[in-house]
Amino acid sequence: MVEALGHFAIVWLDPWLLFLTAAGTLAGIYVGAIPGLSVTMATSILISFTFKWPVNDALALIAGVFMGGVYGGSRTAILLNIPGAPSAIATAIEGYPLARRGEAGEAIGLTTVMSVIGGFVGILALAMFAPVISDFAIMFQSRDYLLLGLIGILLVGTLSGESFAKGVFAGALGVLIGMVGLDPMTAEGRFTFDTITLMGGIPYVAAMIGFFGVSEALVQLHNLDLPAVRQKIDRIIPRMADVKKHFWLAMRASGIGTVIGALPGTGGDIAALLAYDHAKRSTKDPEVPFGEGAKEGLVAPEAANNAAVGGAFIPMLTLGIPGDAVTAVIIGALFIHGLKPGPLLLTETPHLFWFVVGSLTLANVCLLIFGLTGIKVFTKIVECPRAILIPLIIVLSAVGTYAIQNNPVDIYWMLLFGVIGYFMKTYGFQVGPVILGVILGPMMDSNYRRAMMGARGDVGTFLWNFVSHPISLALTLGFLAMLLSQTPLWRLALKKVRRRGA
Amino acid sequence: MSSKPARRPGETAFAVLCVVFGLVAFWHAYGISGFTGLSTPGVFPMLATGAMVVSGLFILAGTLRRPAEPGDGNAAGRFVRAFLPLRHCVLLVLMLAYLAALPLLGFVVASALFLFAAFQYLWRRNVLVTLVLSAVALAAIYVVFRIVFQVVLPQGSLVGRLF
Repeated sequence: MVEALGHFAIVWLDPWLLFLTAAGTLAGIYVGAIPGLSVTMATSILISFTFKWPVNDALALIAGVFMGGVYGGSRTAILLNIPGAPSAIATAIEGYPLARRGEAGEAIGLTTVMSVIGGFVGILALAMFAPVISDFAIMFQSRDYLLLGLIGILLVGTLSGESFAKGVFAGALGVLIGMVGLDPMTAEGRFTFDTITLMGGIPYVAAMIGFFGVSEALVQLHNLDLPAVRQKIDRIIPRMADVKKHFWLAMRASGIGTVIGALPGTGGDIAALLAYDHAKRSTKDPEVPFGEGAKEGLVAPEAANNAAVGGAFIPMLTLGIPGDAVTAVIIGALFIHGLKPGPLLLTETPHLFWFVVGSLTLANVCLLIFGLTGIKVFTKIVECPRAILIPLIIVLSAVGTYAIQNNPVDIYWMLLFGVIGYFMKTYGFQVGPVILGVILGPMMDSNYRRAMMGARGDVGTFLWNFVSHPISLALTLGFLAMLLSQTPLWRLALKKVRRRGA
Repeated sequence: MSSKPARRPGETAFAVLCVVFGLVAFWHAYGISGFTGLSTPGVFPMLATGAMVVSGLFILAGTLRRPAEPGDGNAAGRFVRAFLPLRHCVLLVLMLAYLAALPLLGFVVASALFLFAAFQYLWRRNVLVTLVLSAVALAAIYVVFRIVFQVVLPQGSLVGRLF
């Protein structure tokens, strides 16, 4: 315990780490707030720059950017009615009407406090449950990891994007990209076309930066001429009565956020929408109707999306399965630093775990400070036209991709994935499942083969193993339920049940 | 079913492309180790690419069920106007030139040229303003990444080791 506290405190006591976390949080707020820059984009670019750093420095900076970025989206949602990040879509519905009534400052103050509360709930859940889950996860077999990987990709495919089929396609494409190169078990080439370039595989940082950076820049090119709106802001410290009144709603929303964040594949954006829905259902008589500036509809999504940050770290650190797109990128960073996220991480490198908890906590405190100050400068910077942002994103993406291996070929991969990502986004595909597929694909492949070898290649034994062990059975049922819920059969059954109920 | 949104230009072609890509990838996955065993290196790639083919077919069916896209002119023209207008093409060409120039001219020179050209094209201000903006942006990137983050930036093979 004392040791854990010591590791927790590292980031608070080292001035350089303290500075990095604070700088990361501040930068994250701006990145999250500026439409066209996303947290995933920023983390994937940052990772390529920080991979030569000591791991603590890199993690401190990334924790700050993650925390700040999830919050930052709310600011532009309130001020300009443009959610700076997908996790702030619900915030815009209630926040912008408030701003039009001249209560933007108050709305920002309230969101800041609620985001910080949500953030703390998520971190607390991470600190409390991760060790428990990690002990439990040691009992997981290869087939369980295979199932968890499948569930992760399917979940993100189901809940985001236009259709389930598009989610599956994107996830499978990611798995395919992850498979390219020499097979880690037999060293046979897969999809290499007998070229040496492809034997080392496709660099996944190039894929991440392409899918999240370049493709987003190309999408934003359509919105070049959207005018910026100016806002006047005065009061920013929220009323104590407001905070008190909405405290329990914030706690419930944080609970939702933590759980959704902890589910493999789903992150802050889905958590925020579910929490918004919960607020709508549970608030009997709001002062102002929903959609016209109800504070309940502002509090719930903002508490939930920041709670999802801590939640998303739980499966990543204990199972090696990312909780959302950003943690998928962070897991890539951990691999680069030679760490292996999984059930043994907490026993082998407990200092790393407590360091992460410490830096997230610090980032959350920084969030409170930066969230309630510097609003005047903020409004100036957010008005930065996209015509300037887009070329900068491209230069940063190119340098970031190059920095990882000093290999010019990687930059062409980045451009190719950028163009593919642009068309996928255009036609209603999500690129998040692709990156999850890239990260989870090789893991699922080796676990599938280990499970199959464990069953001595016998299909009957292999399938029987999925239902004969309690953990596997639970996961199998979850997986089948998810698959079933996407077929017409399920909707038919649901209709029947409803009719009987009525 | 009138609530279904119309197809986007080129969406059918994209869906067909998804299926074809899945099939080609499946063929290559089959080529890795065929159906010789259940734990061979080729099984999981075949499962993944198989999933691409099946989901690709679902996507194609879903696309075809939606009403045809409105508008006139030929399909290719609509597609280009909607998703690859001149602005995108110019930027893509600039990017390609930039990436090709990076290893030759080095980071500083190539980025300076790219930033200036892209700012000038997208922002359309006075040349002097663009020039100053590119210089400031480049200086900021250089200081943050080369000096603070100590990132190795590409050096030119043509323009000496100066930068």
